[in-house]
Amino acid sequence: MELLLQTIINGILAAGIYALVASGLALAVGVVGIVNFAHGEFTMIGAFIAYLLFVSTGLDPFLSLGLAALVLFMVGAITYLGLIRPVLAAPELNQMLLTFGLSVALQNIALLVFGADTRVVSTSYQGATLALGGLSFGVPPLLAFALSVVILGALYGFLDRTRLGLAVRAVAQNRLAPGLLGIETQRVYLLAFGLSAALAGVAGVMLSVMLYASPTVGFAYTLKAFAIIVMAGLGNLRGVVPAAITLAMAEALVSTYVPGGGGWVEAVFFLVIFVTLTWRSWRAA
Amino acid sequence: MLSVQGLSKRFGGVHAANAVNLRVEAGEILAVIGPNGAGKSTLLNLLSGLLRPDEGRIEFLGETITQAPPEVRAWKGLGRAFQIVQPFPEMTVWENLLVGALYGKPNTPARVAERVVEEVIELTGLTPKAQTLAGELTLLEDKRLELARALCTRPKLLLLDEVMAGLRPSEALEAVELVRRIRNSGVTVLFIEHLMPVVRALADRVVVMDYGQVIAEGPYDLVASNPKVREAYLGRAS
Repeated sequence: MELLLQTIINGILAAGIYALVASGLALAVGVVGIVNFAHGEFTMIGAFIAYLLFVSTGLDPFLSLGLAALVLFMVGAITYLGLIRPVLAAPELNQMLLTFGLSVALQNIALLVFGADTRVVSTSYQGATLALGGLSFGVPPLLAFALSVVILGALYGFLDRTRLGLAVRAVAQNRLAPGLLGIETQRVYLLAFGLSAALAGVAGVMLSVMLYASPTVGFAYTLKAFAIIVMAGLGNLRGVVPAAITLAMAEALVSTYVPGGGGWVEAVFFLVIFVTLTWRSWRAA
Repeated sequence: MLSVQGLSKRFGGVHAANAVNLRVEAGEILAVIGPNGAGKSTLLNLLSGLLRPDEGRIEFLGETITQAPPEVRAWKGLGRAFQIVQPFPEMTVWENLLVGALYGKPNTPARVAERVVEEVIELTGLTPKAQTLAGELTLLEDKRLELARALCTRPKLLLLDEVMAGLRPSEALEAVELVRRIRNSGVTVLFIEHLMPVVRALADRVVVMDYGQVIAEGPYDLVASNPKVREAYLGRAS
């Protein structure tokens, strides 16, 4: 019983970062209409920013979150203006090839600059745990989870309660109408893509503590984020959080209860996509 | 109010708009009619900014807007409602209208926008549906929402693209009444319509298009008896 409870808690704690990365991807796909395969590379950049700040100034990663978010917002905005906007009207395949190419390029630039080693941000509290009853919580995952909840709360508050958030939701729900109603759609796209990258980057900062920074660290998160937004329904921002919890929980259960489960965890996202799409096509038939 | 000179748009080899000249006078209801594929919807897309013309000029209230993006045209007072309704399905009716009211004119204070929504929702009879999601409306309600949302942008000229299509005769009659009320509140109306009784009932003036060109214009009776118009609709007698 305790094992199950611990597994469930691990799943929920992991879901925070998943939901951050996936909300970002949902903004890119749902609002801008771009299937961004380079999304995880924004996460990777975030992880390296945290690492560089830590080794050069000793700044705690959880304190560099804001700065990383700002930098990644700019990176996202520049990516949008330079690469994405010119292909907005292009066929989807061209757009996907472009973002896939960007992903490969960013990974290799990181490889050139940092090498292939994994770099861990070793904070003093990295191995610290809190014990409660028979359960134990790692301090970094707890912090990351709490911050994710705050950031996601702010994101959904922005979308639900602000004038600009209303415009973002409008653009996500209809392509033709917003411009005719006076919304500057180009600005909304720019904002959404910047936010998308910032969310991925913030998740990267957390990963630098909980996992590591490396040129390929983001790739797995691109795949997982896709699994989550497929589960939520493409472009459905609201479904991202429950879908993230589902994926993280499934991974935690597999890791605990399947013999040799650690190796299977990385395949769970694929199973999730497979099951979701199959189920949907059955239901539709 | 609106003046169009030599407006042309080609899609491949097809002249969807071919040197169209058009004037809309303030306060009138102008109908644009013509057979399928005559270029009516293209004309509306050129006017509202969803398409840019290959040639020609569009002037609205004395300003050239030929290359202006849709939002700038909306701010200047061009409103548009679609034949195929374009709601925000996961927002309530109220929120749908609020988008139009908040963004239709730059820097609209929230209080003003809410008052606009209250007026329009009353005028269009959508008050009981205010908190319903737009994705759950009937077709008639959807069409009302489409019109209402355009009204919330406070247009001076409203472009209506076959807003009556798919309505039952009694519903169309209601819609005709609504368009009249809109005009009487000071909004100029340009509408595309296939239903001739609606055109006859509403239009002060009719413009007939065929193959991307304006082939006739004038009062309904005059246009209806024009041999060129009959030919366009009934085909050439050979």
